[in-house]
Amino acid sequence: MPVRVLGISGSPHRHGNTETLLDCFLEGTKEAGASPEKVVLRELTYSPCKGCNVCHRTGECVVQDELSPLFDRILEADCLAVASPIYSMGITAELKGLIDRAQYIWAQKYIQKTRFFTSEYIQRHKGIFISTAGLSWDNVFDAAFPAVTAFFNTMGFEYYDNIIANEMDRYHGIKGHPTALAEAYKKGIQVVKAIEQLRTRSP
Amino acid sequence: MAIKVLAFAGSPRRGGNSETLLDWVLETMEKEVAVEIEKIAIIEANINPCRGCNLCEKLGRCVQRDGMDTIDEKIVAADLIILAAPIFCMGINAQAKVLIDRAQVFRSRKYVLKLPVVPPERKGKRIGIFLSTAGQTWNYVFDAAIPSVKCFFNVIEVREKDIYYLMVNGVDEKGAILTHPTAHQDAEQLASTVIRDLRLRLGE
Repeated sequence: MPVRVLGISGSPHRHGNTETLLDCFLEGTKEAGASPEKVVLRELTYSPCKGCNVCHRTGECVVQDELSPLFDRILEADCLAVASPIYSMGITAELKGLIDRAQYIWAQKYIQKTRFFTSEYIQRHKGIFISTAGLSWDNVFDAAFPAVTAFFNTMGFEYYDNIIANEMDRYHGIKGHPTALAEAYKKGIQVVKAIEQLRTRSP
Repeated sequence: MAIKVLAFAGSPRRGGNSETLLDWVLETMEKEVAVEIEKIAIIEANINPCRGCNLCEKLGRCVQRDGMDTIDEKIVAADLIILAAPIFCMGINAQAKVLIDRAQVFRSRKYVLKLPVVPPERKGKRIGIFLSTAGQTWNYVFDAAIPSVKCFFNVIEVREKDIYYLMVNGVDEKGAILTHPTAHQDAEQLASTVIRDLRLRLGE
C-alpha cells in the first residue's frame, strides 16, 4: 500500500508562501510513490474548541462540523504535514483552531484511556511542520513549535522534521528563496522512503 | 481625566478560570475613582480571522468590516489594555489568536506606513496586562503564548517593559481557580499596582 500523506494548509492566504512550500513537499512525496492529499483549512467551515471539557467525560467532541471528518483522515495518514505561516510570532488562528479541537483525542488518550499509540506506531507515523515567516529573526518559529509538538503527540505522530523558511520579506516570497523549495521537495522524497523502510523492518 | 481600561476576555468558556481572573482585576479597579472599564468577550465580538491579504500595509485599515471596526478605535483610546486568555495545547487559544492576528493593521500603521498608532501624548504611557490560566502544572506552559502577546502589545504601542503578567497554572475545570491559594489576592494586588502606576504616568 502506498504511503498515505496528508498535507494541511493553515494559511488564510491561498497559494501563498506557506502553501507553495507545502505543495513542493507533497510533490516530493508523490515522486517517491506516495499518494498525497491536501486540505486547506480556510475552505472548511468550523468553529474553534469551546473549552466545555465535555470530551473529558465522553471522549467525544460536542461540535460536529467540517473539521470532524478531518480527524479521521489524520488518523489514517502515515505522514502528516501541517503548514502555517507565522502571524504575530505564532501559528495562524485557523491552524490553532484545528489543534485546539484535537482535545477530544487527548481526552481519549489520557482521561478515558480508550486510545493508545504504541511507540512502534508513533515511529511509523511521521509529522512534519512547514512554515514561513516574513521576519528574519532566528527565533521567529520558536513559539509555534510547542503547539505543533502537542498536536503531533496527541495524534500519534513522531515530530519528524521542520521545513521552515524565514526572511520572506527580504526574498520577496518563497520563490525568491535560494533553497527552501528544493529542500521541501527533497524532504518529501526522504520521509516516504523512511516510512517504507520502517514497514519492511516491522514484523 | 478618567483612566480608560479596555479588557478582553479571550476564552470560549464564559465565566471560566481566565475570565474569573480578569473579573477579579476589574472588580478591584472598579472600586477606584475615575476609572472607566469596558470588557469585551472575544467570542461575542464578531471578529473574523486575518485573511493574510496584506492590504492593510497599503490602506492602514482592514478590508474586513466586522466587530474589529469599533474595537480598533477602543484600542487606540485606552490607557490600559488587558488580555485574558487560557492556554490550549501549549499556546494561546484560537479565539484570542484571532484578535492578535487582526492587530496586524496596527503593525502596518507603525512599521510600514510609519503612522502614529496612538496620539503622541499617549506614547510610552500605556500599560498592558496579560492574564492567563492553564490546566497543566508545567511551569513552562505559558512560554509559547508570550511572544504573541508581546507582539500584540508592541504593535498597539505598549512597550515590552510596560506589560504586567499574571499567569496561573494547574487550573483546568471551570471554577478551579476559586480554590487557588493566591490567585485572587494576586489579581487584586496587580490591579492596585497598575492603577497607581497609570496615575503616576498620567500626572495625577
